[in-house]
Amino acid sequence: MNSSRHTSRALHEDHSANLQVLARAEQAFARVPRGGMTPDPEFLKLIAALAQTLEQDIDRHFGFEERDLFPRMKQAGDGGIAMLLTDEHEAIRAVAEELLPLTRAAATGTLDAAGWDTLKQCVLELVERQVSHIQKEEMALLPMLDDLLDEETDRQLAFEYAAS
Amino acid sequence: MAGASTFLGGASGRLLAPSIVFRFFASAVLLHLLAWLALFLAAPSLPDFAGGLGWTLAALHLVTLGVLLMTTVGASLQLLPVATRQSVPSARWPYELIWILYTLGTLAACTGMALAAPTLLAAGALPAAAALLLYLFLLARNLRGAKGMGLVVLHGWAAGLSLLVLLGSGLALALGYSGHALLERQTAIGLHVTFAGYGFMGLLVMGFSYILVPMFALSDNPEPRWSNLSLGLALAALALAALVLTGMLPMSFFGAAIATGGLAFAIHVVLMEQSLRSGMRQGLGSSFVLVRIGWACLAASLMLALALEQELGIRHGAVLFGVLLIGGLLTLLLGMLSRIVPFLAAMHAGAGMRRPPTPSRMTVQRALDVHLYSHTLALALLLAGVFLENNWLLRAATAVGTLGATAYAHFFVNAWWRMARLLPKKGAPGSAKST
Repeated sequence: MNSSRHTSRALHEDHSANLQVLARAEQAFARVPRGGMTPDPEFLKLIAALAQTLEQDIDRHFGFEERDLFPRMKQAGDGGIAMLLTDEHEAIRAVAEELLPLTRAAATGTLDAAGWDTLKQCVLELVERQVSHIQKEEMALLPMLDDLLDEETDRQLAFEYAAS
Repeated sequence: MAGASTFLGGASGRLLAPSIVFRFFASAVLLHLLAWLALFLAAPSLPDFAGGLGWTLAALHLVTLGVLLMTTVGASLQLLPVATRQSVPSARWPYELIWILYTLGTLAACTGMALAAPTLLAAGALPAAAALLLYLFLLARNLRGAKGMGLVVLHGWAAGLSLLVLLGSGLALALGYSGHALLERQTAIGLHVTFAGYGFMGLLVMGFSYILVPMFALSDNPEPRWSNLSLGLALAALALAALVLTGMLPMSFFGAAIATGGLAFAIHVVLMEQSLRSGMRQGLGSSFVLVRIGWACLAASLMLALALEQELGIRHGAVLFGVLLIGGLLTLLLGMLSRIVPFLAAMHAGAGMRRPPTPSRMTVQRALDVHLYSHTLALALLLAGVFLENNWLLRAATAVGTLGATAYAHFFVNAWWRMARLLPKKGAPGSAKST
């Protein structure tokens, strides 16, 4: 990542942190047997981290992009990629709607066997969607910001994002 | 990374109807299976193959025309408009005409080769060539109007020119069997192999890799000065080879052409490896194992070509070279296709849904795993069988290769079936934004 923009770097740092959690979750959930398991404290911590990352991603990261970046991209004639990324946000929100209640149930030990299977399926789906989405943002959105934002706007947006 | 952004941003609005692209892929998958079966029949004579009609030539062309070119035509018809931000023409007939002429032509030509029937071979070669000329017209129109992606466009133009040489030399060879010599046979073979394997296929594969590999690995695009250097060297190598093969330069320059081509390819592979290693997404699965095996085979083919040119006396060297070149391209292409097919299937099937299917939902991973092991083993057995002149190894290679091709066909049919199952729901009331 060699962008000159603070906003791009902030989003990139989020992506890197996110990818680490997703990689850990993918490895851990790939080992979960059919019908679930009794999670150890480490596993519960991972579930909590995943849920927190997802909630933060949807509220803060997606919200920031949809509010402050995508309209600018549309104005600059890059509406196609903005629309594609918005659709992907929507798909990830749909997964989150199903996943987050399951993570809470897993944390409180009230998840049944079928719930574990659904949780595993949802986590693996989330990982695939998120990695693919981050992939597109890293390749398409972040480089675009170098041209899209002037220095002043970049500083202001980066500050707002950091404060959110 | 501007290239990737235009590629991804325009993808959803520049898709051909799924049936168009998938029919090319389906034909390739079927002909892939037929190629291994033909090679099974050809196995005893393979180590001593030195050209001429028969099952070996048929198997060879079932792979080159049937799989490599068929897949490349289908994939480039879809990927180029997206990469170069071109609108896709609404008319379906040019694509359908290309597919019908090319598929029937290839089948007839390969049957003519297998049965040693020159008339049938020529009757198949002509429609196949006509289809490729029509494809070339579409390719040129697309490249002429390209917006951005300069590196890919340059690879495309060079590949287009190579296709013309490949077609001319191929037709000369096909008509030569009927007694109409348009070009001296050795010259035609040299041009045909060089411009089919390294010219058209090699350049298109390299060009598309500059988009697809960083996209899959989530990495920066390679430094333009290195990718431009690689392309420049590849073009110099092809030009040098053409001058030698047409007698305008002495044969002693052929070694320089091979070495230059080798250097171009080495730079390309190093750039791609850097992309893969520096990417945020590691572990790209069985598809990229195949891609790496393909790169290794292609590099080995160039080294062997150099050794043959230096007359180092390698047992069955020419056949081993053919296996490495064609096997390498096949392996690389099947690896890439195993990523492209689920990606396209998911994109088509998910249009209008709030939670569209993911590519992994379109993938039967076990079938791909079976294919990976079978295909790799088949290639290794084939090389060993040719080198040792061992009929049992060759038969085993083709049997294992057939198993791999069947597994790959299972993966493909499954992706297509899952996509088709989801497609009709798009028009149903209330289907939009449904899960």
